[in-house]
Amino acid sequence: MASAGESGDGADGKGVTTITIISSDNEAFEVLEAAASMSLTIRHLIEDGCADGGIPLPNVTAGILAKVLEYCSKHVAAVAASSEAGSSSNAADAAAAPEKEEDLASFDKAFIDVEQDTLYDLLMAANYLEVKGLLDLACQKVADMIKGKTPDAIRQTFKIKNDFSPEQEEKIREENQWAFE
Amino acid sequence: MTRRVRRRTCREKAKGVDEVVGEGRALRGSSHVGSAGAEGWEDAAAAEVDWTALPDDALLQLFARLNYRDRASMAAACRAWRALGSSPCLWSALDLRAHRCDPEVASSLASRCGSLRRLRLRGHEAAEAVPGLRARGLREVVADGCRGLTDATLAVLAARHEDLESLQIGPDPLERISSDALRHVALCCSHLRRLRLSGLREADADAVGALARYCPFLEDVAFLDCGAVDEAALAGIHTLRFLSVAGCRNLKWATASAFWAQLPSLIAIDVSRTDVSPSAVSRLISHSKTLKLICTLNCISVEEELSHNPAAFSNSKGKLVLTITSHIFKSIVSLFPGVDVKEHGVFNQCNWRHKDKIVGDIMSWLEWILSQSLLRIAESNPHGMHDFWLQQGTALLLSLLKSSQEDVQERAATALATFVVIDDESATVDPARSETVMQNGGIRMLLDLARCSRESAQSEAAKAIANLSVNANVAKAVADEGGITILTNLAKSMNRLVAEEAAGGLWNLSVGDDHKASIAASGGIKALVDLIFRWPAGTDGVLERAAGALANLAADDKCSLEVAKAGGVHALVTLARLCKLEGVLEQAARALANLAVHGDNNDNNAAVGQEAGALESLVQLTSSQNEGVRQEAAGALWNLSFDDRNREAIAAAGGVEALVSLVQECLNASEGLQERAAGALWGLSVSEANSIAIGQGGGVAPLLMLARSEVEDVHETAAGALWNLAFYSGNALRIVEEGGVPVLVNICSSSGSKMARFMSALALAYMFDGRMDEVALVGTSSDSSSKSVSVEGARRIALKHIETFVLSFSDPHMFSMAAASSTPAALCQVAEAVFIHEAGHLRCSGAEIGRFVAMLRNPSPILRACAAFALLQFTIPGGRHAVHHAGLLQKAGAGRVLRAAAAATTASIEAKIFARIVLRNLEHHQSGTST
Repeated sequence: MASAGESGDGADGKGVTTITIISSDNEAFEVLEAAASMSLTIRHLIEDGCADGGIPLPNVTAGILAKVLEYCSKHVAAVAASSEAGSSSNAADAAAAPEKEEDLASFDKAFIDVEQDTLYDLLMAANYLEVKGLLDLACQKVADMIKGKTPDAIRQTFKIKNDFSPEQEEKIREENQWAFE
Repeated sequence: MTRRVRRRTCREKAKGVDEVVGEGRALRGSSHVGSAGAEGWEDAAAAEVDWTALPDDALLQLFARLNYRDRASMAAACRAWRALGSSPCLWSALDLRAHRCDPEVASSLASRCGSLRRLRLRGHEAAEAVPGLRARGLREVVADGCRGLTDATLAVLAARHEDLESLQIGPDPLERISSDALRHVALCCSHLRRLRLSGLREADADAVGALARYCPFLEDVAFLDCGAVDEAALAGIHTLRFLSVAGCRNLKWATASAFWAQLPSLIAIDVSRTDVSPSAVSRLISHSKTLKLICTLNCISVEEELSHNPAAFSNSKGKLVLTITSHIFKSIVSLFPGVDVKEHGVFNQCNWRHKDKIVGDIMSWLEWILSQSLLRIAESNPHGMHDFWLQQGTALLLSLLKSSQEDVQERAATALATFVVIDDESATVDPARSETVMQNGGIRMLLDLARCSRESAQSEAAKAIANLSVNANVAKAVADEGGITILTNLAKSMNRLVAEEAAGGLWNLSVGDDHKASIAASGGIKALVDLIFRWPAGTDGVLERAAGALANLAADDKCSLEVAKAGGVHALVTLARLCKLEGVLEQAARALANLAVHGDNNDNNAAVGQEAGALESLVQLTSSQNEGVRQEAAGALWNLSFDDRNREAIAAAGGVEALVSLVQECLNASEGLQERAAGALWGLSVSEANSIAIGQGGGVAPLLMLARSEVEDVHETAAGALWNLAFYSGNALRIVEEGGVPVLVNICSSSGSKMARFMSALALAYMFDGRMDEVALVGTSSDSSSKSVSVEGARRIALKHIETFVLSFSDPHMFSMAAASSTPAALCQVAEAVFIHEAGHLRCSGAEIGRFVAMLRNPSPILRACAAFALLQFTIPGGRHAVHHAGLLQKAGAGRVLRAAAAATTASIEAKIFARIVLRNLEHHQSGTST
């Protein structure tokens, strides 16, 4: 990481340039611009020339930011690898591509297997930073937690208070009855 | 008394074809999921994160990933989520096919349907309810199962949704829709771009003319399988780009081709499954200036022409003509000049998505009409298409399975489920076709589709997997690819159609012994049992498949334990008691029969009997209207009667009378029913009271009729029952009086089954060992003198044939060797030679063993030999009940009698050898028990 800045003038400028991102609790992360650009929010800031001197992210803590950047780095590397494999017409490389895909899938699966609070923070961060892949991943994880549960079980899972009156509950039951028939 | 252990286990049965679902009320009291659990969750742990505070975008994404049921539950969690759950973006498209859709439901949905654009539904009742959604902005309606749709309903549908751009109703024929309604649609829906209808009786000049006049954007018309369509009027729709008249019966092709060739915008036309003439096709080719594609799949005249003249349409002026003999993939590639498209990737959208729009439109349309035609061809399964399916059709369907159009995907899956079934009646699946699907990678693709999140695709994919799995090789591939887990998960679906097809898949897979354990390991047994509790009335398809799968699984010893552990006994008995649908009852009874088979190894047999109402309901089912139900119920009672308590409980529930009348009425029924009816009486006749009741109730005569059957399983079982009955003198006399001696003699001398010969010989031995004479002489019959004469004749014939039977096991050389030597080896050799393998499963009571011991001292040397022969069979080491029998013999002090028999000078060599072998068997068991 420390030496990454030196190679900023390489031929393929963007691939090796690094930028600094600062978490809400003031921790600085130096990351490849390509990885950081997985976040549309950050990419727009870079494009608008707001990256100099580091990008402060007042909504994301260091712990979560580290996770998000881990996700981005892994996926950027995988995309780069598969586009290389795709551009070379080498049969062996092409055969390796689906394997990479499986790798990435198992990385995702392990990555998102986190405590509920972390999942929430990741979802919030992915939404704020507009990391589409991560947002999809987190949403799917939450969706899987909802599937097949009764409203009451959903409330328990997510520690949500039932703020309906009994009359409203009855009305909702009528309103949603169709879905269960 | 004798019992039979080798009972019928499962009649392995696979279900290949989807049947029409009938009406029916079945179970009571199954609860719907979604009922609230414990109320009043307290805000105990101070929540660190507030999930309700998620940004709306993220929450909407969450909703979008859930099916309607889960969306409803999520929206019912709190106010914030409820509000979001009604967001227009979640309600732009609605698929109500799997849901009840009536005015009540429609009005409950209305507040959320303001911006509904696309709607899928099933059934004409649902179509009637659509205006109640108050979805004025509806653009697209796709409906199926609308055979009963009326003009009035369609007219209202059109009038209330004037923005409709696309209306598709099929494939069920719209028999009640007339040209009037069609004109109405044209008048109301001036934005219509696409109109695809199936099975109209007529689309007259007025109606088609109205479409031409009032629908200035209409570019895609399909009249599928219609009667008369006004050919000339269609030419008035100048905007028409795509036309399909596939399956139309009464088109005038000369007129049609002349007029349609003049359509100024026509790009593609589909005349598949019609009697279109080669000259009409040629005219379209040569006269149309705009046409690019003509699809003529399964058109007899065209195919005949091509068989005489393969180059018939070769001068096609750049127009593609698709026939079943043309190379379809290759032809389609030529639609993309200058693009490097691989043949089998031609339907892959990536290859042409970014090319010109017209090609994209053609491909989307082509996918749609191909999926329609292939499905219809698969359904009607015409002759002469077999090679087409193997060479191209399968690959086409698999390509369509990857279409970006969801309905094309589903139809392709349905077609895959259908085309492999070549005989609906017997659910025969063509091995070559199903293996072609497998070889083209279809199993993987179908399993992927089954795993997608769309329930409509899940059910069609599961159905295809189910039907294909009738083929054992494919079933193995399905299992190897992880299909059992996938199907098990789908069987847990809250969507009835999905659960039904998944259960059907498990039913077919459960035929294979290898797959039973996998199904158990994947949790499939629990899932199947739960299905029975989950789906109440009117869901016979689910219940029949679940019970059928459980029946197959119960045939396996280990799985049957799992079935019982999962609550299967209660579930199946509940079905047997309360369900009214014959298909379900048949499978439930078969499952109970199979559960009871493993009586020696587990408690299921007893458990079934102890389940409240089980035996009573099975007894009742023996008088069902349906032969299959009667058969399986009798089979279940047969197996259950193995347990002493069950046997007496069955009798207490009126089983004796029910089964006697079943056996009386089954003389023209199937072999399976005859065998099980006789078997059930055999099982019940083990106890004295039942045996006498069967005799007095009129059971002897019909059993003798069954004993005359040519079918081994039938006369063997009847012989077993008669053997048990003959133990009692009253029954023995009845058998003689009913003319049973020649019947038993016939089995004894000529049956192909050794067991049948053996048991009929023993029945005859019981009848003529002297006990019956006591009864006869005491004289309950009025005309005893004439009877006694005929009895004496019968006795001579019987003894003669018993002797022949016993001697048929004799090999003079081997027997004299054994007699001469006293070595165990020689005796052993004889024992092996005469042993009737299946007789090792018979179990005798003390009374019966005692009777054979007494018979060893009978004045008749034939009966003495027969008794020794029988005891030999019952005590051979390795026989299931040999130890039990040896114990009984010991208790009866048979050793002395046997030694006397072995040494008797008056006895035949066979009788002596048999007695020596029995003694040896006893020694063996004695040493066995003492060590």
